[in-house]
Amino acid sequence: MMQVNQLVYTAGKRNILNNISFSLAPGKVTVILGPNGAGKSTLLRLLSGELKPSGGTVSWHNRPLHQIPPAQLATQRAVLTQQYAITLPFTCEEVVLMGRYPHFTNQPTADDIAAVKAAMEEMHVTHLSSRPFQTLSGGEQQRVQAARVLAQLWSKRPEAAPGKMLLLDEPTSSMDIQHQQLLLGKARKLAQQRYTVLIVLHDLNLAARYADEIVLLQKGSLLAAGTAAEVLQPATLQQAYGIPLQLIQSVDYPYPILVPGHH
Amino acid sequence: MRRSLTTTTLILLLIASVLFASGMGAMHIPPMQVVSIICNSIGIHLPVDYNEGMAGVLIQIRLPRVCLGVLIGAGLAAAGASLQGLFRNPLADARLIGVSSGASLFAVVTIVAISGIPALAGNHLAKYYLLNAATFTGACLASVVVFRISKAGNKTMTTTMLLAGLGINALCESIIGLITSTANNEELRNITFWLLGSLGGASWGMVLSLLPFILVPICLLPQLSKSLNAFSLGEAEAMHLGINVKRLKTTIIVLATLSVGASVAAAGIIGFVGLIVPHILRGISGSDHRSLLPNSALLGASLLTLADTFSRTIIAPAELPIGIVTALLGTPLFIALLLKQKKAIKSWAS
Repeated sequence: MMQVNQLVYTAGKRNILNNISFSLAPGKVTVILGPNGAGKSTLLRLLSGELKPSGGTVSWHNRPLHQIPPAQLATQRAVLTQQYAITLPFTCEEVVLMGRYPHFTNQPTADDIAAVKAAMEEMHVTHLSSRPFQTLSGGEQQRVQAARVLAQLWSKRPEAAPGKMLLLDEPTSSMDIQHQQLLLGKARKLAQQRYTVLIVLHDLNLAARYADEIVLLQKGSLLAAGTAAEVLQPATLQQAYGIPLQLIQSVDYPYPILVPGHH
Repeated sequence: MRRSLTTTTLILLLIASVLFASGMGAMHIPPMQVVSIICNSIGIHLPVDYNEGMAGVLIQIRLPRVCLGVLIGAGLAAAGASLQGLFRNPLADARLIGVSSGASLFAVVTIVAISGIPALAGNHLAKYYLLNAATFTGACLASVVVFRISKAGNKTMTTTMLLAGLGINALCESIIGLITSTANNEELRNITFWLLGSLGGASWGMVLSLLPFILVPICLLPQLSKSLNAFSLGEAEAMHLGINVKRLKTTIIVLATLSVGASVAAAGIIGFVGLIVPHILRGISGSDHRSLLPNSALLGASLLTLADTFSRTIIAPAELPIGIVTALLGTPLFIALLLKQKKAIKSWAS
């Protein structure tokens, strides 16, 4: 359980985030939406502990996030940032194994090897194992990094390891439609195993398809927060994005489809 | 499996290099005799004949120089590999990014300053430690400055890093030039020695005083291997894997510059060892620092020992400065490695 209470973040004199409060519950996929520059990535970086809040608090399992030692946090929580480039020539398998570093001291255990194998299969990157990471396409790099994050949270008996957390910052930006569904579907599955999942997304239709809860930001403030059905309303979205949006319901697709509307 | 095979091969290569280098020179000493003399001096008598002249040359002249080469080569290569991990860039070499010139500037200033202190005139050990402290400070300052300049957000920029190094090199060299133009004859000789690099000053005293400054980094750096691997993902990404990034950066800078600084104090600026050795090894056994760091130390030791043998035998009785030899050996190899890497990336991409 993560609690965000009256969070404020300023860089220099600029207010990036104002007075944001919400909570993230285990078992739910929460999606952060908002136009460019709304502060989505900054919010995720505050929740991951990379940035320190200028005001307000972020707490994880009732402890202030900054009091938890990074090594301990790394066994419970994985973060996929938008930084994929690696300049030293590591192979993909080595990159995915890095996700297991918080779990072993010198040599990977059998569990770590199993985690790497499972995560690579899950993200369809097993065939890239021995390729140098730098030589992959953007979408492939994103899948390998996603596999690394999944390996970090992998556990032998997932049903006995709840309370872990997954943070993804625009994880599907370079992926094709098949792999977008694959990764977000996996995030859903983790939520069903009582993981806390938070994803920054741009694509409203992916949000409509996979989010339980949505946090909608605009210019650093919380415009709306609630269930997907509550937040994904044409009026609210128009206020956020500045263009009219239309909500279409299809007969054989149970989620709303969002398209730009007419004036 | 392949990794332990690489390490074993490198250990054998180092032993062969040491035996070869000890034997080469005006007086040739065959490997069996080298082994026998060394064993004899530690109390093990082997049934191999040698004359006392050979023993004297080996123990008093050759071995200290070979040991110095082994230590400095190992130190520079391990420092190079870890600096490349810190900068997340395979082009970060102590010489190229200005760390060595920072150290040599401080060395030159120290030489001129202590020549005015009579109490230090006869005390070689005190002089050496003072010089060591100075080169360490210079190397530390230079690496912190270059690291700060080349960091843009979450990345280090190759061009900015190389340009920052260029700037620091130019600055240090011009200040050194300024000092040399006012230096007296004896100071001048010392200063030139620092700028070209040479193992010619080798003695057992120097080897012993250098030993801790190289051994400590070589033993401690491999313990940071996993953290350095994770660091290559990015600073925030390493933090999310539970690594104390601030402490890691400080430790790497202190350990790497400790060995670069001590090497500069003992033998002046020797470039390219820290660049070439990790490059070769990445091609053979990969980028994982768990094998890269110890293997770099081993290969660096062999490479510098052989380069020094070349530098003192090729135009005997005169000597080539070793910095020139490593640059001559290093640059073509480096360019070849770059071309190979470029081709590899191209063939995967197409």
